[in-house]
Amino acid sequence: MNRVQLRDEIAAEYVLGTLRGRARLRFRRLLDRDGELRRCVAEWEARLAPLDELAQPVEPPARVWRAIASRIGAAPARIRWWQGLSFWRSLAVASTAASLALGLYLLAVPRPEPAVDTVAILSDEGSRPVMVVSWPPQEAGGDYPLRVRMLEPLPRLPARASWQLWMLPGPGAAPIPLGLLGAHRAQLVRLEPEIAATIGRAWGMALSVEPEGGSPTGAPTGPMILKGRCVKVS
Amino acid sequence: MGSIDAPLQPEALSALLARSGGGDRRAFAELYRMTSAKLFGVALRILRRRDWAEEILQESYLNVWNHASDYAASRSAPMTWMTSIVRNRSLDWLRRARCEDAREDYELLAGNLRDEAPDPLERLAQSATASALVRCLERLDEHQRQCIVLAFVHGLSHPELAQQMNQPLGTVKTWIRRALARLRTCLQGAGL
Repeated sequence: MNRVQLRDEIAAEYVLGTLRGRARLRFRRLLDRDGELRRCVAEWEARLAPLDELAQPVEPPARVWRAIASRIGAAPARIRWWQGLSFWRSLAVASTAASLALGLYLLAVPRPEPAVDTVAILSDEGSRPVMVVSWPPQEAGGDYPLRVRMLEPLPRLPARASWQLWMLPGPGAAPIPLGLLGAHRAQLVRLEPEIAATIGRAWGMALSVEPEGGSPTGAPTGPMILKGRCVKVS
Repeated sequence: MGSIDAPLQPEALSALLARSGGGDRRAFAELYRMTSAKLFGVALRILRRRDWAEEILQESYLNVWNHASDYAASRSAPMTWMTSIVRNRSLDWLRRARCEDAREDYELLAGNLRDEAPDPLERLAQSATASALVRCLERLDEHQRQCIVLAFVHGLSHPELAQQMNQPLGTVKTWIRRALARLRTCLQGAGL
């Protein structure tokens, strides 16, 4: 066998992946300074590339992109949880468990006055309903707060952090801050008049962990621990 | 971030690579969105561990980002260029990792292979770009063909292949050498 054939043979085994260990390292060093050898490798890569079709595509977890983005300084391109399709998909799935909880909730509590018009059951990542947010129709000039009731205790809050409630206007749209929550079983959230005017179009609700006093940016910055769809009940 | 179902267009990927090379992070994010599922699949096949595959995927994209401006000079198809980066890093990682549980993973793999479609090449033949390679692979003896697919797609080393094929190491090495030589002749005949 001549020298050219031998080089091509080793290039082929390098691309195939059977050239291993120190031989692989030595070959790599050779590649760096041998353009002819690089051409051999590129040819074999092109020949065998169709075999990559045999590997099924698998969606990598979001943390991989977050790590890459942070290392190339691409913070602006970061995908926030509410911009990801999977968040909205999971919300649709979670609503089955939530609708069951909704039925139980409506049976268990006396109808408050004025009559509640919309209810959102917020579930945790395990689809366990944890919190109910309900409100009556917000007529112009009306001042009806949101009613918040815990079905389960909230997880422990980190030091110097707050719970913040968000309205989700719809898939892909930025959440709108509604107010801060405490850990009490029942509480009221008073809405700003301009938000009260839009709450009738709410698509969902979410609860995130934010720095003490609420998100400094007006958009969620911390993990979203509860979420749920809004349901019209009258 | 999801992968797209449409085939990856080389022209679109080349344009995104060129813009990434110029420091355009949005283009790079789009490139990641379009290609990461495919490349993660390649890394998973070779490494057979999710944590390792995530690590390699991350390193590979940083490498793509840093060398995107060199891409044009390589004259490869964009997906081939990026896949080679993932493949090479995965194989280097296997050399470093040399873990005790390799054998266990290997058993898992043997199970996976049985679950696969009767002949993975049938699936491949449906892709037009792959048809020449499939025709040439079909001309190999069955055990030669198996060795090529197991080595390239699943990252099996010579000793792992010998075990899988239940043959002496020397025999498997000879099969592979001959298979590659025949593939080369056949594909050159097809102008590749």
